[in-house]
Amino acid sequence: MKTYFKIFLPIVIFLNMVVSVMAETPEEKGLRIATEADLDGKGFKDIIQDMEMILRNAQGEESIRMFNSKTLEVDGDGDKSIFIFQHPRDVEGTAVLTYTHKVGPDDQWLYLPALKRVKRISSDNKSGSFVGSEFAYEDLSSQEIEKYTYKWIEDVVCPGFEEETCYVTEDYPVDKSSGYTRRVVWMDQNEYRIWKIDYYDRKNDLLKTLVFSDYKLYLDQYWSAHSLKMVNHNTGKETDISVKEILYQTGLKDSDFNRQSLKRAR
Amino acid sequence: MRFCIILSLSFFLVKNSFGDIAPDYIDYKADLSLSSWIFPESPINNEQKHNNYSFSFEPEIYMEWSNSKNFVFRPFYRLDSQDDYRTHFDFRELKYSFYGEDWESNFGIGQVFWGVTESKNVVDIINQFDAVDDPLMKTKLGQPLINLTLIRDYGYFDFYLMTYFRERTFPGLKGRLRTNPPFLKNASSYEGGSKWTPELAMRWSNSYDEYDISLHSFVGYARAPAIDIKIIDGKIQYAPNYQRIRQLGGTLQRTMNSTLLKLEWVARHGEKDSNLRRGGHISAVLGFEHTSYQSIGDNGDIGFLMEYNFDSRRSRSSDSLQDDLFLATRFNLNDAENTEMLLGTIFDLDGDGQIYQLDLGRRITDSITLGVKGAIYQNGRLGSNLYILRQDSWIELNLKKYF
Repeated sequence: MKTYFKIFLPIVIFLNMVVSVMAETPEEKGLRIATEADLDGKGFKDIIQDMEMILRNAQGEESIRMFNSKTLEVDGDGDKSIFIFQHPRDVEGTAVLTYTHKVGPDDQWLYLPALKRVKRISSDNKSGSFVGSEFAYEDLSSQEIEKYTYKWIEDVVCPGFEEETCYVTEDYPVDKSSGYTRRVVWMDQNEYRIWKIDYYDRKNDLLKTLVFSDYKLYLDQYWSAHSLKMVNHNTGKETDISVKEILYQTGLKDSDFNRQSLKRAR
Repeated sequence: MRFCIILSLSFFLVKNSFGDIAPDYIDYKADLSLSSWIFPESPINNEQKHNNYSFSFEPEIYMEWSNSKNFVFRPFYRLDSQDDYRTHFDFRELKYSFYGEDWESNFGIGQVFWGVTESKNVVDIINQFDAVDDPLMKTKLGQPLINLTLIRDYGYFDFYLMTYFRERTFPGLKGRLRTNPPFLKNASSYEGGSKWTPELAMRWSNSYDEYDISLHSFVGYARAPAIDIKIIDGKIQYAPNYQRIRQLGGTLQRTMNSTLLKLEWVARHGEKDSNLRRGGHISAVLGFEHTSYQSIGDNGDIGFLMEYNFDSRRSRSSDSLQDDLFLATRFNLNDAENTEMLLGTIFDLDGDGQIYQLDLGRRITDSITLGVKGAIYQNGRLGSNLYILRQDSWIELNLKKYF
């Protein structure tokens, strides 16, 4: 009896596992992929990035924005970040401090250097355009697992990167103030790099497409895209982001992300 | 004069103690602006000129050492084509800062903003207004100060020692938007001291979820002067008279989705009212700001603002906004030109007139912006602050070049 049980129990457990994997719903698989990707990106501690944004209208006229950002990984909650505008000159020094939360609205403070004013602002403007670009605030904010529900769709060859197979998943924003009904995300299975995102508006029409390229590996662990291109299918406008410099684990502390350090941010 | 000597002394002290250590980061920039100020109506007094042009220049030098100290030098100069008193120079900032993880200390001349409301900031007591520079009272003169900020789990604690009082700037004989007669220069009197009498302030502020709260106390001079009437050569002249006050105040903002609820208040003792009677009073601004996102054009936001301005002295208040309702609409087109416009009205609930305000800004090129500002003053009751401005409605066109 004892021996029988010894053999039988592992078989039961094994069968159970097979059944549970096979019975994984597309929603469960979607969440599992997102969770794995999130774990894969954990432990970065802090990042400093220098970026250039090129706004292009349907006639091809361009205007340039430059900014840098500092991000701090926070255990148990969303990241903290400071965004500082560098160009054009009339907004130089304007900075935004964000405390992202996994659940509930983010806390945000805007610093206006001409007045030396720190102003608590609403983080409700998720779907609004970031400085007139094709990126909405929600496209650029810290991506926390809890902000979406997920569904796996299929596995295909990665768009723009044929050596890899991509998971295609649909993400549904939890927040009602999101400008989207869903995002369709292409993410490769080996390194969890996102290659493409389609954004569907509130009427469920394809609104924008974001394509990632020029991935570089940092600290042998973290992949960062150095080039992002967002195309708005309604207006024909485009916005390119090119990341000039990324520094990982620079030793930023919690004290670099408060209202006092916001006033000093450059 | 003494002020300038102390300034240069402190500058050289800073320069000598740090001059030999090259900063890790230096940044130079400047902006230059040209403005045309148009008054559609003729001035009330013969000496006043009709319209004017002005030019201003504001360079900035910034230096930083190993992320633990920095130095900012930002002088400002305005040249006005008509009004000698509006032609002026100021150190907006000349400040040396040290900081660590949970503290910061500033020495020199600085600018401090505490307010949360839009129509007026009753809590902002550290800096004097540069009233000739901006009649909408958004520009401040640099304030000599020593300051320490401590950052604790239970909030930010700011301590200020102010060593020199800055007089409010006033238009001269030829200028518009002034009392008749204008305020005399270098004729200020200080009750219970001089402009060198120290002033002290303390402030605590913190955030709790959607609430941002602050409390402060202040001992020093009220920033707005009372009128000291003098008779010189048989003529009536006005001189500013600054009174020593004690003040408690605070701010509260609740940030809910797209609506902000705001309160600013001060309880002040020692200031004279318009009848030159000294006493205590309460002054407050209470209101809200609601933004409707992406409601105009592709991405434009519209904001609605309503604020009630209260002063317990009512008609005896020297402040024009003492029982007034501020209603405004803010347009933010969120376009590549960063077009923003504020249209506002201020209604006196006692029937003492209305003010209409416009403030528009737009980027023309990467380094040039256009600004259009203006105010219309209507139906001021005889003898009121608004009545003085009855023929001084204005519009200003401004081009600013950034280097």
